[in-house]
Amino acid sequence: MIEFDEEPPRRQFETLVPLINVVFLLLIFFLLAGTMKPAEDVAVSLPEGMLNDREQEVPTTLIVEADGFVWLGDRVMDAQLSGVMVEKHLKDTNTKRVAIKADADAPAEAVLQLMEGLREAGVEQVTILTERGQ
Amino acid sequence: MFEEPIRKRGMASLTPLIDVVFLLLIFFMLTTSFLQEQSLSVVTPAPSADELPKDARVVEIWLNGDGSIAIDGEPVERAALSEGLKAAIGERKDITVTILAEKGSRTQALVSAVEAARESGAKNVGTARVEKIAK
Repeated sequence: MIEFDEEPPRRQFETLVPLINVVFLLLIFFLLAGTMKPAEDVAVSLPEGMLNDREQEVPTTLIVEADGFVWLGDRVMDAQLSGVMVEKHLKDTNTKRVAIKADADAPAEAVLQLMEGLREAGVEQVTILTERGQ
Repeated sequence: MFEEPIRKRGMASLTPLIDVVFLLLIFFMLTTSFLQEQSLSVVTPAPSADELPKDARVVEIWLNGDGSIAIDGEPVERAALSEGLKAAIGERKDITVTILAEKGSRTQALVSAVEAARESGAKNVGTARVEKIAK
């Protein structure tokens, strides 16, 4: 019988080192390149835009879903009825600054209805959030 | 006399470290977003479309229900909206741009129209929603 020399089993960590290097690199990449976003229960794909007015820290964000419904926090409402609801919220929080986060496919009608409601609530200017286009 | 205790290799404790690093990696992968968010300030429209001025110094952008866009009835691509509007306005600076959103038009078109109107240097920009644009 021929006997083969069995190779001594390699130590596990030796092969792990390059893997760890790569994982560390990825970790550092995500740490540096990304920005954290707060979790939201409504998924919207923002419309593309070119201009940026750099409004920051707008206290109230209204989300307009693709089907035209408006979210304020965890409350959902029809765009037509949103004015009253928002007016109450603005009175409670004592602010006039509102951002609208509308889906690109949301009906323009719903956004305009919402903006009309805001005008009636005394909001002269709103901030529409967009995503940077090419 | 006494046997020396066998030295433990320092590398053996690497596994928990890798576990933690993997966890961190997955956490950052899931919570990171690379979206470049911008903001666009828009003046809220008056609730009635009747208040819109209707004279010669008005350029209308139509957001049709089928998704197409037109400037004073001339169909225009969304990418060419800005140039089209500048051409329609010409040299006059006292112009008012009115954006009419028909039932069925989308927010993307509205945002593009608002940006084009802003860039064109028009004095006033008004927005209104209508059931059907009178062609």
